[in-house]
Amino acid sequence: MWREPWGGRLSSPPVPGAKARTAGLRGACGSAKKTRCIMDRECSQLLPSVCAVLADSRQLVADDTFLEKFLDWFKTLTETESSLLLLQENPCLTELITCVLKLKDPSSSTLSFILRLTGIFAASESCFQYLQQRELLISLFGEVGPLSSALWEEASVRSGWVQGVHSMVQHQSALHFLCSCGAIEVIFTLQGDPSLFVASAANQLLVHMLTFSLQSFQTKPENIKDCDWPICAQKLIVHIEESLKSNSASRIKQSLKLLTSVFGCCHDLWTEVLWSRLSEPIVYLLEEEPVHAGHSLVDLFLSMARSPVFSCPECSLWTSVTCALEHLNPAQVGRLAVGVLKLQECPQAVKIQALSVLLQPMDCVLKAASQPLEYPGLLNRSVNDSATVETLLSCRSSCASLLCQTLTHLEELQYLTCLPVDLPHIPLLQSVVTILQFCIGLATPASCLGNKISRILIGCFRVQRSALDILGALSHWESPSVFIGSVFDILLAYLKSPDTSPTVLKKSFQATLKWLVSLSEAPSSKDHWQQTEQFLQDLFLVLQKRLCSPYWEVRDSALEFLTLLVKHLREKEGFRQVLFSSEVPKLTEDLLEDPESYVRASAVTAMGQLSFLTHLISKKPGVENGNVKEKSIVAQLKEILSTDSEGFPRRAVISVFIDWLREGHPDVLKDTEQFVSSVLQAVNSDLDWEVKAGGLELAEVFSAQLLGRLGLAACPYAAVLSSATRSTHLSESLQIFCQVKLFEFLFGALCDCDRPVAQKACDILIALKAELCDESSLKEGTSAGLSTEARGIAWLEETLRRWSSCAKPCPRGDADEAGSQDPNGVLLVLRTVDLEGLHRSLNRSSDHIEKSPQSLLQDILATVGTLEENEADCY
Amino acid sequence: MPEIKVTPLGAGQDVGRSCILVSIAGKNVMLDCGMHMGYNDDRRFPDFSYITQNGRLTDFLDCVIISHFHLDHCGALPYFSEMVGYDGPIYMTHPTKAICPILLEDYRKITVDKKGETNFFTSQMIKDCMKKVVAVHLHQTIQVDDELEIKAYYAGHVLGAAMFQIKVGSESVVYTGDYNMTPDRHLGAAWIDKCRPDLLISESTYATTIRDSKRCRERDFLKKVHESVERGGKVLIPVFALGRVVFATPGMLHAGQSLQIFRKWAGNEKNMVIMPGYCVQGTVGHKILSGQRKLEMEGRQILEVKMQVEYMSFSAHADAKGIMQLIRQAEPRSVLLVHGEAKKMEFLKQKIEQEFHVNCYMPANGETTTLFTSPNIPVDISLGLLKRESAIGNTPVNNDFPLSGTAILSFRLVSPEQALKELGLGEHQLRFTCRVHIQDPRKEHEMVLRVYNHLKGVLKDYSVQHLPDGSIMVESILIQATAQSEDQGTKVLLVSWTYQDEELGSYLTSLLKKGLPQTTA
Repeated sequence: MWREPWGGRLSSPPVPGAKARTAGLRGACGSAKKTRCIMDRECSQLLPSVCAVLADSRQLVADDTFLEKFLDWFKTLTETESSLLLLQENPCLTELITCVLKLKDPSSSTLSFILRLTGIFAASESCFQYLQQRELLISLFGEVGPLSSALWEEASVRSGWVQGVHSMVQHQSALHFLCSCGAIEVIFTLQGDPSLFVASAANQLLVHMLTFSLQSFQTKPENIKDCDWPICAQKLIVHIEESLKSNSASRIKQSLKLLTSVFGCCHDLWTEVLWSRLSEPIVYLLEEEPVHAGHSLVDLFLSMARSPVFSCPECSLWTSVTCALEHLNPAQVGRLAVGVLKLQECPQAVKIQALSVLLQPMDCVLKAASQPLEYPGLLNRSVNDSATVETLLSCRSSCASLLCQTLTHLEELQYLTCLPVDLPHIPLLQSVVTILQFCIGLATPASCLGNKISRILIGCFRVQRSALDILGALSHWESPSVFIGSVFDILLAYLKSPDTSPTVLKKSFQATLKWLVSLSEAPSSKDHWQQTEQFLQDLFLVLQKRLCSPYWEVRDSALEFLTLLVKHLREKEGFRQVLFSSEVPKLTEDLLEDPESYVRASAVTAMGQLSFLTHLISKKPGVENGNVKEKSIVAQLKEILSTDSEGFPRRAVISVFIDWLREGHPDVLKDTEQFVSSVLQAVNSDLDWEVKAGGLELAEVFSAQLLGRLGLAACPYAAVLSSATRSTHLSESLQIFCQVKLFEFLFGALCDCDRPVAQKACDILIALKAELCDESSLKEGTSAGLSTEARGIAWLEETLRRWSSCAKPCPRGDADEAGSQDPNGVLLVLRTVDLEGLHRSLNRSSDHIEKSPQSLLQDILATVGTLEENEADCY
Repeated sequence: MPEIKVTPLGAGQDVGRSCILVSIAGKNVMLDCGMHMGYNDDRRFPDFSYITQNGRLTDFLDCVIISHFHLDHCGALPYFSEMVGYDGPIYMTHPTKAICPILLEDYRKITVDKKGETNFFTSQMIKDCMKKVVAVHLHQTIQVDDELEIKAYYAGHVLGAAMFQIKVGSESVVYTGDYNMTPDRHLGAAWIDKCRPDLLISESTYATTIRDSKRCRERDFLKKVHESVERGGKVLIPVFALGRVVFATPGMLHAGQSLQIFRKWAGNEKNMVIMPGYCVQGTVGHKILSGQRKLEMEGRQILEVKMQVEYMSFSAHADAKGIMQLIRQAEPRSVLLVHGEAKKMEFLKQKIEQEFHVNCYMPANGETTTLFTSPNIPVDISLGLLKRESAIGNTPVNNDFPLSGTAILSFRLVSPEQALKELGLGEHQLRFTCRVHIQDPRKEHEMVLRVYNHLKGVLKDYSVQHLPDGSIMVESILIQATAQSEDQGTKVLLVSWTYQDEELGSYLTSLLKKGLPQTTA
């Protein structure tokens, strides 16, 4: 019965105003993106039928993405045009809301959708009044609406209600309405909703309401009690205060969360007043034994500490932070400590205390492995109760997690550009090494705690990973030889150990790389180099073994490590000597035939790097290089490019070739044209779009190099060529491009069904056209009497087909008569194809039409009745 | 009280992206990490902020388990591990680990190709993510840590699909992932042992459907293909997943090769496109399935679809019968339904509760279901209480017998004597009796006397008495003679002893079995 009022609308002409307005706007905007934001004529026509479907409880709109996308569209619409006009010009929307309200048994998804849709409209004050006059808002968001229906049990309805209210709160009228209709109390209840999504949305809504109601409240009143805060804000603050003082852990957490968001998003002066009012119950929470809402308190303090309102050193916040650093459980306090250390503005004493908190577990570990007087430890004095930390470290369930957290926080500090406090990096390094030793049974426990830690940590991958991460990060500090020695020892132990898991091994490689790179770059690198070379010899022995591992993850990580090592240390002669005296290059080459494609790809990349070195090393007299057959590497890689059935190795090959071309690899320089030609030929028939994209990059580098070599590249400092010389060089380069079949490749890629390929080809062709088809060369074409009409892809495809099928000349004398090798023919095609037009259409994502609102509305209408049979089941 | 908490971040009353958080005995496990095909924005991945709010993910989660390689179960994994920052263990079966990167690569390709997105996981991230995966064998018990163990069972949905049992101490949860209880041409039926988990988390895609035979569907499929080919047409089958028929990707005709072919073939009514699965809104696949025949393509061209459009699903999910069968097989204490539509789940939930008398839950996304897992404790009910309840008409219904009374639990260590005294019970004695056959034609009392004399001689340190009723007592062991009616020459001695005197009783029995010495005759 509901279809009737709209049934006729489909055929009726759209609202005249809408038609004129949208037509005008479309003309003005032009772009597809803008067009989507406007309710155009097609959508206005489809909308009544869609609303009819949505309002009909018998119709099935099972796919909830429809409704989500419908709402997305309306959000965009209401941002760009008047919501009131939208409702007035499309009365079906108001009728839809009314109709759903009248339904006896609406579906929860429809009701939720209507709540959200109404909220979006009511965000505009005029629209709010319009809906209010029709009593739609009170019926939807008041006590008599869905709130009192059985559907309120459905989380989706409650969620829709909260989201609707959230959208609506953009003006004071909405706040007054919510305060008067009892909605605020409902939101308070929803804070504790069984659905995480609803509870979180309710909390965010309260944050929004509080900040919105106080946004005009800029002055800081002298006396807190005197301040005349808006009623809504007062209600909220009383609620927060009561919750904080309640004994309910969940209510306390909700309020702390709410305050965290408030202080995080709002830096107005009133937040200081709010804090002075609430600080007392919050500080009281810290004094409880044990502190229950530790994580939430940490979040709150961090959010406040980041606000400029509280940055003053005299602010009472810092007293609370100090108190929190003392009272919170070591497992909770780390996050606060690291957060404090990252702050720009913070009293130095608090920072020093924060660092001590972070170092305490490390200090305990260090002492647990040394004799009491042997080592001074990380801390001069203990800031917290070290007994608590020791208890946590001696317990199986908490030890690993406390250490992982501490190690991660300390690692974060290493990446700060400027550490605000002195970090005792040598004892820290030693404590990290000690943890790593404990994890593989190499540390000697010196106390009862040490024994316990030893038993807990042995074989603990989690701690191993975190410790190796920070070990790598600590490489940027200058360390004395003795400590470098202990780092090398522990790294070798991990790299060698058969118990090291693949993930830990990867971290070991990463840490090793960081230390080696760091040592090679350090000013004192010469002092350590002998020590490093000795380590490298041991390292390559391990690497040989790891390259032969039965696990592909290990072989792959070893190859990745090798690639980076060569990249960073290839200038070091000692490194090259050690590398080529090992079997690593040979084993790497063997891995080009690994059964696992990931490994083959990494082997290709590693060989790409190694091959630079083989050239360097083979030039030196007296250096034997029997391991790598460098001549065959290009051939091997080309073979992989044309024959490997998996994409990864082929992609790796093309990346290596691009690097070689860029860096002037000797094998490439021997005959660059032949090299490029053969690679493009192989790539041309490749089905993998990334290989093709790589081929295009190669083509781009090649063309830029050639044009640059001939002085044709657009460089502001280049000498200006005479027009005759330029013309000669142009024709020379064009000749070379044709010889390597560059244009055949580029035009083919322009027709590719993968958009990124076509897009990149188009970019390159436009750049080449600008270089090659300048005015003088254009004259040639027009004098031949050829059509300059822009042609599209179909024409180009036809031309390419002719080029590829045979080089037969076409009797019509058209542009396509010439083959791909003929420079004039190529130039003509380059001028004829509408590259700019193609560029515009390729820049849009391929689904821009499917994403349009018309498409969505058509889909909703078309789906009615068909969904039942084609339901989601394919996964 | 011990509890199990389940919160779906995805697959709660929908068939979108599976991602279910399970908290069991203090351990937190994420079951699947899928993506939603229907969205191209943030909504495609589960909202992990709900787990990251209390610090680092790796500290919170003990492990991630991936049931199979379909993208709605693993599509968010590289995002989760390489971009959100989860650095802990990930478990899946060997075939899943082998196939997962191929599908993830395909997904990445479509996203980058179709949308030109740059802020998306890269090939390197997919590889790095797969390196963190620990591959498991079916029926292999994996110890994630000291307390948490997992075990994979065959699920029969696609190659490598597995159901996982998650166990901490005596509490356990089984997650089915997607499964199929009917074997087909290349996959067997799901199987699990009678593991009686506290909770079975089951998919419910076909919660209300009883599927027809796959052979019929195969016949129809072949018939349609043959008909089309015979009339000179071509058949396009766009697919988006491995494990079934593989023709041209992507499966929803939204970009790439399959769309390219579709454009070329759509205008010929002799041709046919067979859509083997669900297509999300906005894709060409969705449009043609919903009957739209004039499609606006890029460049405002209108493509008229004249080719035949068919929908034919070969997906392997358990239907309602299959789900019930699995519940019967595993005998869970409660069931939780995911990966299905709310209305259908509601129907199945009632059916399960009715048939198996277990609680069945169906939380929406973001809703937490909490189960208290008190272990079963047998309780002795006093006769008085039982009589009183039956007197007021309280009788067992469906094996449930609600009773009110006071449970007395006491954990004290007392002597047996004191326990007897406090409970007002008498001591029971447990005796063993053994028959020993002795060849002796003499009269019964004579034979007993011979036994008495014999024992008296052998057991000098023991008290051996000949009682007036004719029996013999050696300490607490009683020996009585009884006549063997059929054979007068054979006498039977009954030797009886308490379990405290087991040693002496056994010794006496063996002694008597050797027979009586001739000298005593």
